[in-house]
Amino acid sequence: MAELDAVIHAPARLRVVATLATLGADDEITFPRLQQLLDMTAGNLSTHLRKLEDAGYVRQSKTHAGRKPVTYLALTPQGRRAFEDYTQALTGLLKGAGA
Amino acid sequence: MSSSPDRPHDGPELAAAESLRLIREQQERARSGLEPDGRLLCLLWGVAWLVGYLVLWSGARGSEGIPSAPAFVVFGVLLATAVVVTIVHSVRRTAGTRGASRLAGALWGSAWFVAFVAYPFIIGGLGRAGASDEVIGLVANALACMIVGIMYLTGAACFADVSLYVLGVWIVLTGAVATVVGMPTTYLVMAFLGGGGFLVITLVWQVVETRRRRRARAGHVAAGAVEQDRTDG
Repeated sequence: MAELDAVIHAPARLRVVATLATLGADDEITFPRLQQLLDMTAGNLSTHLRKLEDAGYVRQSKTHAGRKPVTYLALTPQGRRAFEDYTQALTGLLKGAGA
Repeated sequence: MSSSPDRPHDGPELAAAESLRLIREQQERARSGLEPDGRLLCLLWGVAWLVGYLVLWSGARGSEGIPSAPAFVVFGVLLATAVVVTIVHSVRRTAGTRGASRLAGALWGSAWFVAFVAYPFIIGGLGRAGASDEVIGLVANALACMIVGIMYLTGAACFADVSLYVLGVWIVLTGAVATVVGMPTTYLVMAFLGGGGFLVITLVWQVVETRRRRRARAGHVAAGAVEQDRTDG
């Protein structure tokens, strides 16, 4: 079996990374909006985001909208590359199966 | 690489197909949650133009080719509704994001606003300069088509969307035809070529989307069948 990135390979984190990968390279999304697109609890999402951040795949930037703190999230270039490598590895596995 | 035990296994390939399906479904959900739905907006504007300009046309037939005041009221309400729905829908979809795409979308959106703020002043100015009702009516339609058409052309360039470009070309040409035919047929052209154009694009986008989804599902089923063969054989 080809080496699959263990950080991304968990279904919940795979969904997080897949969602962030639909954003443009310079775009960011707020935590609540991401949570809404994923339909995860805040605690659950935070845990997975922390793991992705530790791996260097996700970056957070904190700012304020008025007096409310807002957290924006995005994939790092490294995270985007890891996601591309991962999907490529999966496609490779399927092609291997068809051969 | 993979060890080949005697016993067939449903390991990596099945997991791969499942993961790819998960990615596809989630990305589809993310995109439809974050991008304004072009089909919805085109349908909305198609109906607004078709009904609105038909009302102006029928209101213009009796009275020397100039639409009646109630016809203009109905037309105004239809367009205002379309504007409000478009803004609310677009703002909701793009809320909670920032960056280059968001900025591009916001600048493009505000360009519509600027153009249509200037619009009534241009039409009003022509009236004060002595333009007849007929000239004003024709210019009002032509200018609306030029703004809308060219906005779609710039949007196509901005978002690299060829179908938006086609729509832009169509609306610009509609403006030319709507002016050449004169009053009150101009309103029929706006209704059927303009409004009809929006509705045709809506239909095309819907067909493309349905086909894309069906193909994606079929691709997944095919991948699943390959695995099934492997595990069975």
